[in-house]
Amino acid sequence: MNPFTAWFALFFAAVFTQNILLTNYLGMCPFLGASREIKTSFGLGAAVVFVMTFTTPLNWILYHRLLIPLGLEYLGLIVFICLIAAFTQLIELVIERVSDALYASLGIFLPLITVNCAILGASLFMVARSYTFLQTTAYGFGGGLGWMLAILAMAGIRQRIAKNRLPRGLEGAGIALIIAGLMAMAFTGFTGITAPS
Amino acid sequence: MLNEFLLGVGVVTGLNAFLALLLVLAERTLSHYGPCTLTINDEKKLVVPGGQDLLSTLKREGLFIPSACGGRGSCGLCKVTVLDGGDPLATEIPWLKPEEIARHVRLACQVRIKHDLRLQLPREWFAIRQFQATVVSIRDLTHDIKELRLRLVDPPEIEFQAGQFIQLEVPPYELTDEPVYRAYSISSPPSNRREIELEIRYVPNGLCTTWVHRHLNVGDPVTFNGPYGQFVLRPGNRPIIAIAGGSGMAPLKAIFLDMAEKGIARSARYFFGARSRRDLFLVEEMKALETRIPGFQFIPALSNPLPEDRWEGETGLITEVAARHVPDASGAEAYLCGSSFLIKAAIAMLTERGMPRERIYFDDFG
Amino acid sequence: MKQSPELQKIQEAMRPGRLTKTGFLGSDSRPLADILAEDEATVARLGLTHAAIATRMAYFREKGEAGLGLAVDVPPHFEVRVDGVRGRLPCPFAHPGLYPKIFCQVHNQKTGETVTYSDLQIHLIGDHGFYEGRGSPYRLEPETLVQVLEITPEE
Repeated sequence: MNPFTAWFALFFAAVFTQNILLTNYLGMCPFLGASREIKTSFGLGAAVVFVMTFTTPLNWILYHRLLIPLGLEYLGLIVFICLIAAFTQLIELVIERVSDALYASLGIFLPLITVNCAILGASLFMVARSYTFLQTTAYGFGGGLGWMLAILAMAGIRQRIAKNRLPRGLEGAGIALIIAGLMAMAFTGFTGITAPS
Repeated sequence: MLNEFLLGVGVVTGLNAFLALLLVLAERTLSHYGPCTLTINDEKKLVVPGGQDLLSTLKREGLFIPSACGGRGSCGLCKVTVLDGGDPLATEIPWLKPEEIARHVRLACQVRIKHDLRLQLPREWFAIRQFQATVVSIRDLTHDIKELRLRLVDPPEIEFQAGQFIQLEVPPYELTDEPVYRAYSISSPPSNRREIELEIRYVPNGLCTTWVHRHLNVGDPVTFNGPYGQFVLRPGNRPIIAIAGGSGMAPLKAIFLDMAEKGIARSARYFFGARSRRDLFLVEEMKALETRIPGFQFIPALSNPLPEDRWEGETGLITEVAARHVPDASGAEAYLCGSSFLIKAAIAMLTERGMPRERIYFDDFG
Repeated sequence: MKQSPELQKIQEAMRPGRLTKTGFLGSDSRPLADILAEDEATVARLGLTHAAIATRMAYFREKGEAGLGLAVDVPPHFEVRVDGVRGRLPCPFAHPGLYPKIFCQVHNQKTGETVTYSDLQIHLIGDHGFYEGRGSPYRLEPETLVQVLEITPEE
């Protein structure tokens, strides 16, 4: 398989069959709490894509070019968190400067992303699966996009059923988890395209 | 062993220090906007530090924009035309009409000054100032209305038109943690420039009225800004019909005292409604104006007099009383001040008696 | 369960001193989402909707307006007094719109009970299902409203 296809295969897997939210169940909290409206979900999803696309490769560089040569792999977790937090803060400053409107609609979600375990999860998977730098870029971008796809789909479904009557007890988190489970099952239909490890 | 430990700690510390430095530099460059020039009405130029919102920046420069919510975007009063400020934020859009958005109207509290801006403000706003004052007296007018008299300290004098109002600043007290503003009409005439009088009616759970009625003392400092409002006497010779209830007395008292002092001789009838005698106040003062203003009549009415009131004046709802006295209102103009349904009922009654809607002026700063 | 940042901000706006002196939550320390959920369940149990309760509250408010502060008789056995003070309040749920400070007092002559509510409260109940927190002196218990105003399920 030529490298181009390999990159796409991994990217595709990150979005669909190994969707970090629906397969690994990471990043559930904002997914359940903030997915009632398509508009806000889009903003949140876009922010996650941005952060995950950049922090995962950056963390690769830190891990492979700083920690491994010094024999400090065990510090990986701490270092990743520090980078994610700093990066998120930096992005917030840039957005605030560049566009008030974007900041007003996105801004509040950016601090929330720091604690989104999907972002950290992507970096940890990158280490666990020993991805190369190129593979990491595919995985970071694809993972973020997959998360956004999942939250958009969830918001769309929830907006659609917003006026429907649900059995008591299933409102809110109950129905959201059921929807998530059904979506996860649907996404495994894509199996057949597995990520090279 | 120690070397490994030091190495690990050193790397993490070093990395964090580097990231922190990066963030400080970013904040320095990205979040500081330097001085910006505000050009107001194509004439006045102000150089201000950028980065803050327009409302508080202008306030610091001594230019007051009407606001009741202190810049939180929940009153919609601070509308300003900003010619190169970009599109309105999502928080502003619900307050702006489509034609206002087309005219580049924004809420000043939501506009961040990032570069030079051209603004357009109504001229009346240039007269609005912030005043520091001291409480010189607190007097009970009724069981729930207090008259507050404030002596101005800085600036020492205020210029206003009778009928206008000010925004009183309620400082944090008891359970509150932020200052809040509430509007009150000035009940003293404009001839007195060094002191103003306000009438404040106690409202259960009211932020401002509880402060005034339970916490404020003579000698305390007070901050307010103003003057605001268009509820002023229109020039001309038309007979005046004034209808008010409760704390609606305040602006009309200022207007009629002002008329007396200036010797304006227009026929005027002032109908003031209350429930029972204990809600009536300043009756003698208003009756005394009948000798000072030729053609002025003060007609108080009680809607629910108690037997012990021994009331011999007019009875009934104030709008009904006024209706009895004014069969034909087509030549007069009206000044109304009170609750929204009093105003609604009065407008209906007056238009039924021939008064054109545009000659009915009411104080609706609620 | 954690509530969304929007609901968190709204809960902040309900604290004492932001909009009114005692705020809208009283001594209730539960998250706003839980307060809303519990009252929603109570109302559903009574076979009603928030909108139905608010409509009935607004009905008395309209009838009482004509009194201009004086009590008005509303058949079959109610006495309503509507009065107002100047000023307007925004809704703590952070959407545009200012609500006049008008209070409606409904006295049920048959049961002898009285409820008092403001224009803002009619909106909070009808559009947000919010009856204020437990311990708030202005909390309106759904059961009390239903009883005093005699709200019956209409189907």
